[in-house]
Amino acid sequence: MKRIIHFELEEVRAPREAVLDHQGIPEDAEVPHRILALYDDAASQFASLARPRGMIAEISEAEFREVFPGEGNNADDAVVANVFPKADHLALFAATMGGEVSEAIADHFDKNEFALGVMLDAVASMTADRTSEVIADHYHAQLIAEERATPAHHVLGYSPGYCGWHITGQRKLFAYLTPDKIGISLNASCLMNPLKSVSGVLVSGSIDVHVFKAGYSYCPQCRNATCLSRMERLMASERGSA
Amino acid sequence: MDLLKEISESLQKGDDAKVGELTQKAIDEGMEPKVILDDGLIAGMNVIGKRFRDHEIFLPHVLLSARAMYAGMDLLRPLFLRDEVPSAGKVVLGTVQGDLHDIGKNLVGIMLKGAGFEIVDLGKDVAPEVFVDTAEKEGASIIGMSTLLTTTAPGMVRVIEIINERGLGDKIKTIVGGAPVSQDMADTIGADAYGYDAANAVETIKEMVGV
Ligand code: B1M
Repeated sequence: MKRIIHFELEEVRAPREAVLDHQGIPEDAEVPHRILALYDDAASQFASLARPRGMIAEISEAEFREVFPGEGNNADDAVVANVFPKADHLALFAATMGGEVSEAIADHFDKNEFALGVMLDAVASMTADRTSEVIADHYHAQLIAEERATPAHHVLGYSPGYCGWHITGQRKLFAYLTPDKIGISLNASCLMNPLKSVSGVLVSGSIDVHVFKAGYSYCPQCRNATCLSRMERLMASERGSA
Repeated sequence: MDLLKEISESLQKGDDAKVGELTQKAIDEGMEPKVILDDGLIAGMNVIGKRFRDHEIFLPHVLLSARAMYAGMDLLRPLFLRDEVPSAGKVVLGTVQGDLHDIGKNLVGIMLKGAGFEIVDLGKDVAPEVFVDTAEKEGASIIGMSTLLTTTAPGMVRVIEIINERGLGDKIKTIVGGAPVSQDMADTIGADAYGYDAANAVETIKEMVGV
């Protein structure tokens, strides 16, 4: 079954620290007032422009076995290849902030408002990024409500373009999910339009399903090792509930 | 205070209104446009570039200064005859075919302008021929290509092929960059250089043109 979710802005909005960090400003830095004012301006523009929405479609393990290889470009040791056979439930997802925010960013650049344009871009990027986690929470809540998972299970998203799953894998993912229903299309280079969009598979299972050692052939080239921090968070939550 | 120094310092503060006002004052006082540009605006941007590289200031600060620089440049530009706009070199810049993402490319362009380069910005989703045709027509010595996803690499390769097919390899050099690009990828596709970030792209291009 396919499900469309319209997110409340408050549930997806990225924290200010993440937005500033994306622009190279560390959490412990003393941020000048002028930059904070830019952030406030960008955040309020984003609130009026963003149309955060997502889509989920459950998929069986057998069907995902067809989708995952994509066009045969995945790394031999792709993480998801080891993860999905151990999962209890799987669902494909896509989410977007909508195209209006990208138009506003371009407009700021046209008017030489570079700092505001980059700040708005960072707000939109970090919020889109966070949406993967929020949509995973929605799926988890659905599974709990349907008594197919417990709060002790963990639902995490895995995306084409990360950890050995090639970005061309999005073609089969899109064919199954049909996220055009929420306004996301895929071009010949596998770029999603609107730009501030994400796609992937939600994997539900016990903590062991999601924990791996980041020693894969492609790890040294990765500029964005978010796997490490999220595994840390996962293990911390497990310790917290023990 | 010396007017040029005042321009430079206002630019460093990101005060675009003040930079505009002081640039106009310098023009009215009969100061040479090239002197205002070099010793006021670019001098200020050089300080900003260095402080950014040394992690003393953050990206938004650099961008506020860049906007102030443009405010001064807008007043100076009409005073230069078309071929006389002083320039450290001409760079044709664009996001490669199939890619619609241009923030990174824009940042590179802003930093290059701040360092005194002339930029021909082709925007996004740029076809390989357009890069080379434009560089030839404009007499640019550098083509800069940016991308967000590795799937667009064939477009970059094609630009390099066209340059070679037309025998322009000595006149036009290429630099590639963007989130998924690496020195390895640049080497593999035969690009002349790789830029890790905007500041590094400026340094690399300066070396390429010998300034
Ligand atoms: C000419 O010479 C030069 C020289 C230097 C040049 C240059 C030209 N052009 C740029 N530079 C350089 O200077 C600029 C300024 O310093 C820099 O420009 P950038 O454009 O890189 O920098 C921007 C100003 C800020 N940087 C960014 O905005 C990109 C940062 C990272 C973390 C990133 C983000 C934030 C996002 N993403 Co995604 N994202 C990643 C990125 C990984 C990383 N750490 O870089 C990358 C680009 N993403 C990736 C992927 C896979 C994806 N993303 C996606 C989505 C997203 C978000 C929406 C969450 C978000 C915003 C995207 C956007 N940029 O609009 C998806 C695609 C989106 C789409 N529309 O199709 C999706 C496909 C994931 C998915 N399935 O959902 C990877 C691409 C891998 C590949 N093989 O191509 C990726 C490298 C992460 C990774 N796996 O390591 C330099 O690169």
